Amino acid sequence: MTSRPLMTLQVFIAPPQKLGAVPHGTRVIAPITSGTFEGPRLRGRVLPGGGDWTLLRPDGVLELDLRITLETEDGALIYMSSFGLRHGPPEVLAALANGESVDPSKYYFRTTPRFETSAPPYAFLNRLIAISSGDRRPSGPIYTIDEVL
Amino acid sequence: MHKLEIMAERNGIERRDVLKAMAAPVVAAAMSTLTGCAHGPAATNGVATANRRGTAMSSRPLMTVRIAAAPPQRLGSVPHGVRSVVPVIGGDFEGPRLRGKVLPGGGDWLLQRSDGVLELDLRITLETDDHALIYMTFQGVRHGPPDVIAALGRGEVVDPARYYFRTVPRFETSADAYAFLNRIVAVGTGEATPDGAVHKIDEIV
Repeated sequence: MTSRPLMTLQVFIAPPQKLGAVPHGTRVIAPITSGTFEGPRLRGRVLPGGGDWTLLRPDGVLELDLRITLETEDGALIYMSSFGLRHGPPEVLAALANGESVDPSKYYFRTTPRFETSAPPYAFLNRLIAISSGDRRPSGPIYTIDEVL
Repeated sequence: MHKLEIMAERNGIERRDVLKAMAAPVVAAAMSTLTGCAHGPAATNGVATANRRGTAMSSRPLMTVRIAAAPPQRLGSVPHGVRSVVPVIGGDFEGPRLRGKVLPGGGDWLLQRSDGVLELDLRITLETDDHALIYMTFQGVRHGPPDVIAALGRGEVVDPARYYFRTVPRFETSADAYAFLNRIVAVGTGEATPDGAVHKIDEIV
């Protein structure tokens, strides 16, 4: 597999909504209030209104299910959804839960973003497969997103 | 079937050897492996991809899945595009940590979008050589120049470098030996064949 950088995306989250135990695990919804993204071919901001519908599975893996709208600096709207997984040693996950900054190489946080847009300059996003590596910060995650070539 | 059994037996030996070779460095990292950190010793063997272009993303081979398909069921135009359903009738898979056969009964629910991109939506069951069952799904896209796509449509063999065929497989299993599959993100590079497809799947480390 070869890839190349697509963009770096930082999102900011509101206090999470802790729904507790649901049939598939423990559900926590993190509303997304804002953010920015920047890469060689696109840059702009994250619109408020999206969120990450996270599910902590019984096997300790956190499933991420993100849906946000990106607005490029030239006014195009891009719908981004991303499914991913996060897991690591208990002490590392505990530090993250305490809001500490943790070296992202100490845990596994990978997602597979998908994009939808009607804007011709960004239609290439409709046709690619992408992967991302996440860095969970207290204010929200930073995703380094690559296009799979 | 017979061929697969021979393959499984042959590879079973190789697999034990691989496990033995991995055993020493595993000891120190055993706790992190048990607690779910994917950065076990094998991760250091990951093939760094595209680092020359400044990305930190790296991957390592997971397996190659060969899928044998029945003739497509052409459903025609549906609200989201042109739908074809391709039943999966068999196949095999092989990688450093797992191998076995594809069970009949799955399929790929293809959708040709209006922008020319073919969306893939596959669901199959894998059975390892030691009889574990693994549910595998993927979504993906396939597109390329019109002449290349037309050649694929006629069932011709085309160099896969001439079109884009990428997928994001996911796995579910209850077998402890393969539980690592529940915890990884993966990417597949596909190659259409006249009677199915071959997917080279990498684990994102």
